Amino acid sequence: MARVIGGIGTSHVPTIGVAYDRGKQSDPAWAPLFEGYKPVARWLAERKPDALVFFYNDHLTSFFFDLYPTFALGASAVFAIADEGAGVRNLPPIKGHPKLAAHLADALVNDEFDIAVFQDRPLDHGVNSPLTLLWPHEPDWPGALVPIEINVLQYPLPTALRCYKLGQSIRRAIESYPGELDVAIVGTGGLSHQIHGERAGFNNTEWDMEFLDLIERDPLRLTRMKHADFIRLGGAESVEVIMWLAMRGALSPAARMTHRNYYLATSTAMTVALFEEPPFFSEAKTLESAA
Amino acid sequence: MNPQLEGVEALGGTYPFDVARSVERMRINRFFWNLTQGAFRERFVADESALCRDSGLSSEEIALVKARDWLGLVRYGANFFVLEKALRVLKVTNLHAYAQMRGETFEQFLETRQVPEMR
Repeated sequence: MARVIGGIGTSHVPTIGVAYDRGKQSDPAWAPLFEGYKPVARWLAERKPDALVFFYNDHLTSFFFDLYPTFALGASAVFAIADEGAGVRNLPPIKGHPKLAAHLADALVNDEFDIAVFQDRPLDHGVNSPLTLLWPHEPDWPGALVPIEINVLQYPLPTALRCYKLGQSIRRAIESYPGELDVAIVGTGGLSHQIHGERAGFNNTEWDMEFLDLIERDPLRLTRMKHADFIRLGGAESVEVIMWLAMRGALSPAARMTHRNYYLATSTAMTVALFEEPPFFSEAKTLESAA
Repeated sequence: MNPQLEGVEALGGTYPFDVARSVERMRINRFFWNLTQGAFRERFVADESALCRDSGLSSEEIALVKARDWLGLVRYGANFFVLEKALRVLKVTNLHAYAQMRGETFEQFLETRQVPEMR
């Protein structure tokens, strides 16, 4: 069987990818962000998951309103990097895992999660922005990625509880996979930010800290929140943290956050958090936070 | 009414994008979404007015596009994530668009940020 070795919550701000490509890793304004990802990248390098199951949202790039799926699972062997208006980032295509994806689709639908399945759609910054800080890409990515798209931008969105349940169903599916695989789960988005309307630029660090505590210790409390609560507390687009709940649902209740980094510089509270399953393997279990 | 959005109207300055809006404003959203295609971008840069006409935009929509009125477009029903494609084509940063939507100059907006030198 395959097993879930841990989880990662991460922002997916597009400028992270732009800054990475421009070599701003040591720029004083950017260093607190890049440094904060290093322990997570090290954990991935040490634990070497065969695949990442990646809960993300497409930003109206490869999906449009002619058909915008609530949940969709990417099953192809390879996914191109998307062109979002400024050309394509110079990255190798992202390898999928068709065998795992097909198994997940079988298991999810038989578990009454009637997920859509897509192939050959490029992945936008929802995936590729954080991925470059998590995995090396030269000469190629070290593993496969199964993208699971979640609608966080055209209401009605799936509820917070539904996303958590999707994660639980994903865990059952992974554990019934007929083969040896180590899988890490990634949930993307957030934390506080709003990027439209007169309320653009809204942040709430106090709420972000509470969210980080709750996602680790009491995710069920987050599942009882309405979208309007997330919008009020964290800004309109912060509702996308329901994708962190999908990740959390795929971990065991005993999983613990062994690293976190929080950096609010301009408009989005850029955050990364590592969750490990017991027994814990992390060398440093310190919780670091640079606000 | 979507019960998940109950109370959101009290926040102000926030425009949840739902299916009703999406249906009503499909044309302008598709126009911006088409900017993910290189050929469409080239036409946009070469002759924006002609492209707007050929795309069937209304005079109200054309005026909003021409004015780069990001707040007006959001209020009209354009989704910010397709406006982002236009920002990339026009080489306008998101921060500039946020400042405009807040009714501030770029410099005023940066003064409200923790690390304004981050670009």
